[in-house]
Amino acid sequence: MSAVSLQTRWAWRMVIAVLCIGLWELAFRIGLLNPIIFGAPSLVVKAAMSDGLLFLQAFRVTLVEIALAALIACIGGIVCGVLLGAVPIAAVTFTPILSAIIAVPLVILYPVLVVWFGIGPPSKVIYGAVIAFFPIALTTMLGVRAVDPSFAVMATAMGAPRWRVLVSVTVPLALPAVIAGLRIGLAFIIISVVQGEMVASYDGLGFWISYHRTIFNTGHVYLGIILTLILAVGLNEILSRLERRYSGWRVQTQPSL
Amino acid sequence: MRDEVRRVPEIIVSDAVSRSFGSFVAIDNVSLTVREGQFITIVGPSGCGKSTLLQILGGLVAPSSGEVLIDGEKLNGPRPDKIGMVFQEPLLLPWKTAAENVEFPLLLRHVSAKERRERSLALLDLVGLAASVGRYPHQLSGGMKQRVAIARGLVQHPRIVLMDEPFAALDEQTRSRMWGELLRIWERTHATILFVTHGLLEAIYLADTVLVMGTDPGRIIARIDVPLPRPRTYEMVGSAEAGRLRNQIWELVASGQ
Repeated sequence: MSAVSLQTRWAWRMVIAVLCIGLWELAFRIGLLNPIIFGAPSLVVKAAMSDGLLFLQAFRVTLVEIALAALIACIGGIVCGVLLGAVPIAAVTFTPILSAIIAVPLVILYPVLVVWFGIGPPSKVIYGAVIAFFPIALTTMLGVRAVDPSFAVMATAMGAPRWRVLVSVTVPLALPAVIAGLRIGLAFIIISVVQGEMVASYDGLGFWISYHRTIFNTGHVYLGIILTLILAVGLNEILSRLERRYSGWRVQTQPSL
Repeated sequence: MRDEVRRVPEIIVSDAVSRSFGSFVAIDNVSLTVREGQFITIVGPSGCGKSTLLQILGGLVAPSSGEVLIDGEKLNGPRPDKIGMVFQEPLLLPWKTAAENVEFPLLLRHVSAKERRERSLALLDLVGLAASVGRYPHQLSGGMKQRVAIARGLVQHPRIVLMDEPFAALDEQTRSRMWGELLRIWERTHATILFVTHGLLEAIYLADTVLVMGTDPGRIIARIDVPLPRPRTYEMVGSAEAGRLRNQIWELVASGQ
C-alpha cells in the first residue's frame, strides 16, 4: 500500500470537494454563472427541501431497481459463466456469441421491454439485468477457463470429485475475474436503469432529472445528478470491499479502484 | 541381502502399461515393479512421458492398455488414502494458510477439525515449518511453499508418494537443501517414493534405483541401481562414483532420444 494514510487521502478528497462546491456557489453569487443552466449548490439544497423530501422516493425507486437487476444479473451471470467455463465444448461454442452480444447496443431492446413489462420499474429491472448478464457471464467464464488446470489435477489427486474441484478450487481461484466482471456489469446496470427511466417511466432518478429539465427546475436536475453519482459511488464501494475480501490474497501492489 | 530384498512386498506393479493421445504414443509398454520403502527416481529427455507415467501410476490418467496394481489391487482412479502426490508447482490455495493447505485433503474426507489441525501441525513440523503454520502462500518463499506441498502430499500418511519434478523451480542452494530434507522425511515415514526429475545428480543422490526413460515412444530403457551408501551426504554428489553413474546415465539419455 502507498505511504499516504487512509485518513490523509480522505481529508484531501473532502478538501477538494468542499473547494469545488464553494467555487460553484461563489460563481453563482457573483453572477458569473446563469443558474438556469448551471444551477448552484444552494439551489440544489432548496430543491431537496421542497415537496416534502419527494426526491427520497425517486432515489428509493432507482435503488431498488438497481438492486434487483444486480441480483438477477449476478446470480444468472455467475452460474452460467461457471457452467460454460467448466465445460470446454460449451465455452468454445458460446464465447463468440457472448462477446458479439456485448457489442450489440441492447438499448434497441428497451422499447420492446416497455411494451412487455409496462412503463413501471419491472421493465427497468429486466433491462438492467439483461445488459449486465452478458459481461458478467463472459468474464466469469473466461476467469474459470484461465485457472491453471494443474490446480484441478492436484485437487483430483487429493480425492476431490469433479463438482468439488469446481466449487472448492476452480471458482475461488477465478473470483478476481468474477469480481472484475461484476464491476463492469454493475456499471452497465446504473447506466441502463437511469437511461431507461429517462426514456419512459413515471418515477426514479432518471425520470426526476428529465422531468425537471423540461420545466427548468435546474436545482432539481442537479440534485438528481448528484443522487445518481452517490448511487454509483456507493455501489463501487461495495464492490471494492468485495474485492478486498475475496481477492485480497492477490499480491496487493496497486491501490484498489 | 538379495533374499531379504525379495521378501519386501511389491507395492507398485505396472504391467505392460501404454498410453496414447490420438496417434501419439506417450507411454509404450512400461512394466516395472517397486518394492515397499524404495526410493526410485525417473529421468529422461523432455517429452519422454515421465510425467504421464507418474500420472498413470497416480490414477490421474487411465492407461490405454495394461494395468497398474497398487498393493496387489487394480488402480482405477486416484487413491489419496494410499498415494500422495507432489507437483512441480506447489499449487497451494492462496486464500488458505499453510496449515489449511496441508489440511485440504483431510477436509475432502470429512476428518474432524481437531484431528485435521493436529495432523497438519505434525506434518508442518516434520518439514521444518512449525513457525509458519498461519502464514499465507504469498508470505512464503519458493522452498517453503514446496515444503507445504510436500506436507500436504504426506498428510494422509500415504504409503506411496509420487513427486513430479518437485524441486525444478527452486534455486540451486534451496534445491540441494531440500534433498537432505526429503531423505530425512523418507526415512521417518518409510514411504515408497517415485520421483521424476531432469537433474541427473539429483536422481543419483536421492535414489536406490534410477529408471532411465527414452522418448518417442516413452519407454524405460534402463534400470540402474545406485551403490552409494546411506545415509547420503552432500559430498557424495561430487564423488567419483556419482560422476561415473552420471556419465553412464547421460549416455543412456542421449542415446534414448
